[in-house]
Amino acid sequence: MFARLANGNAGPVRVIEGQGTKLSRTMHGIVYDAAHDEMIVPVHLAGALLVFRGDAKGEQAPIRVIQGPHTGILRPETTALDLMHDEIYVGEDGGKDILVFPREANGDVTPLRTIRGPKTGLDEVRGVAVDPVRNVIVVSSRSRTGTTGLFIFNRTDDGDVTPRAIIGGPKTGILRIRQIAVDAEQGKIFVAVKNNKESYRFEAASPSPWNPDEPGFIGVWDITDNGDVPPRAIIKGLASGLVWPAGVALNSKDREIYTIDSVRNGMFTFHMPEFFGSKRP
Amino acid sequence: MEKSTKRRAILAFAGAALVLFSGSLGLVLLPDSATFPIVVEASDVDDTCSGIAVEASTLGAARASGSVAGGDIVPVRSIEDPYPILHNEAAATENNRVVMSDSNRGSILFYERTSGGDSSKVTSPKWQVRGPATGMMFIAGVALDAASHEVFAVNNDIGDRMEVFPYDVEGNVKPKRVLFVPHGSWGVSLDRTRAEIAISVEHINSVVVYRREATQGEAPLRVIHGPQTGLADPHGIAFDVATKEIMVSNHGNWAPLTRAQATEGGLQGGRFALPSITTYPTEAKGDARPTRAIQGARTELNWPMGISLDAVHDEIAVASYGNNSILIFHRSDNGDAAPVRVIRGNRTGILGPMGVAIDTKNDELWVTNYRDHSAVVFPRLAEGNVAPKRILRNAPAGTAAVGFGNPGAVTYDSKREEILVPN
Repeated sequence: MFARLANGNAGPVRVIEGQGTKLSRTMHGIVYDAAHDEMIVPVHLAGALLVFRGDAKGEQAPIRVIQGPHTGILRPETTALDLMHDEIYVGEDGGKDILVFPREANGDVTPLRTIRGPKTGLDEVRGVAVDPVRNVIVVSSRSRTGTTGLFIFNRTDDGDVTPRAIIGGPKTGILRIRQIAVDAEQGKIFVAVKNNKESYRFEAASPSPWNPDEPGFIGVWDITDNGDVPPRAIIKGLASGLVWPAGVALNSKDREIYTIDSVRNGMFTFHMPEFFGSKRP
Repeated sequence: MEKSTKRRAILAFAGAALVLFSGSLGLVLLPDSATFPIVVEASDVDDTCSGIAVEASTLGAARASGSVAGGDIVPVRSIEDPYPILHNEAAATENNRVVMSDSNRGSILFYERTSGGDSSKVTSPKWQVRGPATGMMFIAGVALDAASHEVFAVNNDIGDRMEVFPYDVEGNVKPKRVLFVPHGSWGVSLDRTRAEIAISVEHINSVVVYRREATQGEAPLRVIHGPQTGLADPHGIAFDVATKEIMVSNHGNWAPLTRAQATEGGLQGGRFALPSITTYPTEAKGDARPTRAIQGARTELNWPMGISLDAVHDEIAVASYGNNSILIFHRSDNGDAAPVRVIRGNRTGILGPMGVAIDTKNDELWVTNYRDHSAVVFPRLAEGNVAPKRILRNAPAGTAAVGFGNPGAVTYDSKREEILVPN
């Protein structure tokens, strides 16, 4: 955990770590629940969803754990919260699915709904977000054989359902995709387009895993977009510092966008009032 | 075009300055009411989104005009660690070399065995290998072959390859050999007598064994994998040449990879087991049971990372990250065994230990710290809360270690005004 205004070579203000936390390496999702002061983290290597108190630190145990054969969870990759309907969403890469649980679920519980199957188009799910106002779920999915992009479902969809919209294709610039965030007030989807297609070529004069041919970016789409459409807004380029942005989060109050870069091992804050509409929350 | 190119050059400089002198650039906030103060022409951006023209615009204006808002924007704040963060280490006493992996900047650092001291100054490595030509990214395990003068470096969560470099190379050099390894590889150990290398793989709970000279897409000779192996989020690995065994440290996390695996032998989901050190015959393959497992409350294992064998004194050292400890066990310990010695406490300088190496020739024990920019060296028999005999620093004393290692997500805690990153 870093102070919002931290800058430079700043250390964390809090760290949750150790065996007692049940955390592991390879955690690719996180969401903070401001209403209940909790944070939720999927643990990929243990097939679990951990819920911590908002002020947790050190080797503090989670207050709830969703894990077990009845949960249907294989390797959870990403998570999102719908506070309006009191639900937790879990997205899985290997499971190729979205699982929905009650927010206060604990233990080996069955999901309320599952979106999974060939009609969904979902493959390696990397990000999920909910727009409870428009009653839709946005899922980022990467596929080696199908479509890589944003899949939009009705919020209450269940089973092998067809998405209501898919944003993907060459005009989107999306090659590989990770965490997403939704600004429900504006109806915008913020996407970490990682594009981590390695360009390491053994025979090349200057192979470069650091500067891939297709650098990543933060892209913004309308939640009503559909098809092969370019982003409405973008943060990308040398000055941005972004190489492989893997995560994105919003701070509407201060009109900031946070992104984390997996090659730079860095976190970048962009002050973007233009991306947040005219009204302050 | 000339004008915009010049502007871009200024931005690039500002970006670099943000890293190097970021403290002085804090809180350069842009006015709320402004449209973008930075204009980057489409032709000036290495833009791969076909059909995108980047221009200064608010989102609303962009929407109306059908163009794209934003562009090559300089961050107002950034957190990065410009110093190496030590991940793992190996010592070759024959050549008085110690090599350490740096997962932050994607490098390996060679030090003289006698490096370090008790000062707060930085200890410069004798050589550092780093740069795009090396292919190293999120580097984790390292091993040395003192006979062949080679160092083996394993990429963990990105890269999915192991690079082999000769001794005495420096800078941005191509590896001597490259082997593609499974995603999530972490530890590496060398058996010179069998000319084999063993690699632990977190994601698929496996140990893969290759020819020492294996290259490119060569298949492993053997794979240890299956429910009876006890492998659960494996990290450290060490061949025991004398007893013909392989030892592996496990964090204890296990989950099925596929729906088919989740229904094998009855429905099963993810689980947390206690951390362990499991041992297998060198020639084990498939779903082999461990011949021994150190596991239980008395072991004090807590996120066990690197392990090192002391074949002379029949001991194993384990870097126990979660409780900032080095745990020493008997080589043949089994079950809920208490360590024979523990190095832990505020005087030790141990903070987030990732790697450990025992130097039997010089009777020393080396530890790399992930949460501090340092490695610490103890007498081999050190115990308790003792100060190290030498410290190697790769940043001035007191420099914060950011601690990012291939981060994959972020969220914002609006109550505390904190940015949360799982790592």
